[in-house]
Amino acid sequence: MSEIARFTLFLLDGAGTTLLVLAGALGAGFLLGIPIGILHVFGPWPVRLVLRGLDLVLRGFPAIVLLFLFYFGLGSVEGVDLSSLQAAILALGLRSAAYQGRLVRGAIGMVEPGQLEAARSLGMPLVTAVRLIVLPQAIRCALPGFANEYAVVLKDTALAFTVGVVEMMSRAKFLAASTRQLTLVYLLVAVVYWALTQAGLLVFSATERRTRIPGLGTDLRRVR
Amino acid sequence: MSEWSSVLAGLLDGLTMTLRLVAASIPLGLLLGAATALARAYGPLPARAVAAAYQSAFRGVPLVVQLFILYYVLPRWGLTLSPFAAAVAAFALCSGAYHSEYIRSAILSISPGQMEAARALGMPRLAAVRSIILPQAARKAVPGCGNEIVYLVKYSSLAYLVTLVDLAGAGRLQAYASFRFFEVFLVVGLIYLAMVAVVRACLLLLQRHWRRSTAAIRA
Repeated sequence: MSEIARFTLFLLDGAGTTLLVLAGALGAGFLLGIPIGILHVFGPWPVRLVLRGLDLVLRGFPAIVLLFLFYFGLGSVEGVDLSSLQAAILALGLRSAAYQGRLVRGAIGMVEPGQLEAARSLGMPLVTAVRLIVLPQAIRCALPGFANEYAVVLKDTALAFTVGVVEMMSRAKFLAASTRQLTLVYLLVAVVYWALTQAGLLVFSATERRTRIPGLGTDLRRVR
Repeated sequence: MSEWSSVLAGLLDGLTMTLRLVAASIPLGLLLGAATALARAYGPLPARAVAAAYQSAFRGVPLVVQLFILYYVLPRWGLTLSPFAAAVAAFALCSGAYHSEYIRSAILSISPGQMEAARALGMPRLAAVRSIILPQAARKAVPGCGNEIVYLVKYSSLAYLVTLVDLAGAGRLQAYASFRFFEVFLVVGLIYLAMVAVVRACLLLLQRHWRRSTAAIRA
């Protein structure tokens, strides 16, 4: 078997873990980001204040510092026992939750406020109106932002090796060190990451097209 | 107490390195971004293709991989970069790819009638771009490019992966030396947060300054 094929297979073996970290972080970020976004807009002020503080830390700290904080920092706390995989998913997931929360907040702002007023004046409870009227439109507005978030978090998973997660990047480092074929290995891993980014973006743009509501404008993204 | 003073002294050295890295990469990234945006907006077909390929490659590949290619792979091909040069090159190249997209869309948002008017008055194309299009595009690109600079400050923390002792690297060393992992990384994070706040404040000032000068022209 040619070297390229062998190396690619070896790297793709690690892609499973990369995708696991990615899915964990994006999933946690989504599940937390939706309520965070809603609370950013509709929450009482003490909640909004706390969220602002968390937001500042989670978005202001570099990804690598958050990884260290969760793995080495929490790991040194008595009674806490996180594996490197758990720490990586937690750190990247909370970080993504902060970004997705802001995204959802912006998307809610794009939904014409008259709709919520109309629902409320018809006697619909606030929670129901947000769930049935605002959110379905807001999520669609946020789709380009979610696509962007996918690309950002995918690239951030390549930092998980710094806390010992054996994903694609750490496999590339191992392969580069053991075969001394640095050029081939690092170019291959670059191509695989690039292909994963593009493939994911295609899925998102297909979703965007399929769920589009004519007349509902959409363009919101976490810049980058 | 003395333990913390040595930790803080170590972090301060790291901070100096981070500031040097950032100060070198920001202008280089902006220059690269502007050049790429101009190539895509006004260049001939081959230049447009090269610029688009550059954007796609450097935005689709993790910064760590770019850094490793520049630092570990290039020496195999006869180009050995110092850790500092490799880090600055990686940050500038990656940042430039993102800047270029903001600058390009700012250029495209300026009505083509302005270029036509300048050309009709006999202004050379280059002069029109330099003194009519770019000053307006720069103002429109500030929010996007500003965000990118904030990213650059945070992602400069990858420099420790190529043996530089920047703020993140110093944090690691000091955490191991003092065994205060949580506290040290928290302080490191807060220092990054402070740097981000300073950058954001500068951007706001720049925006306000430009708004005022534009208002004066309109008045």
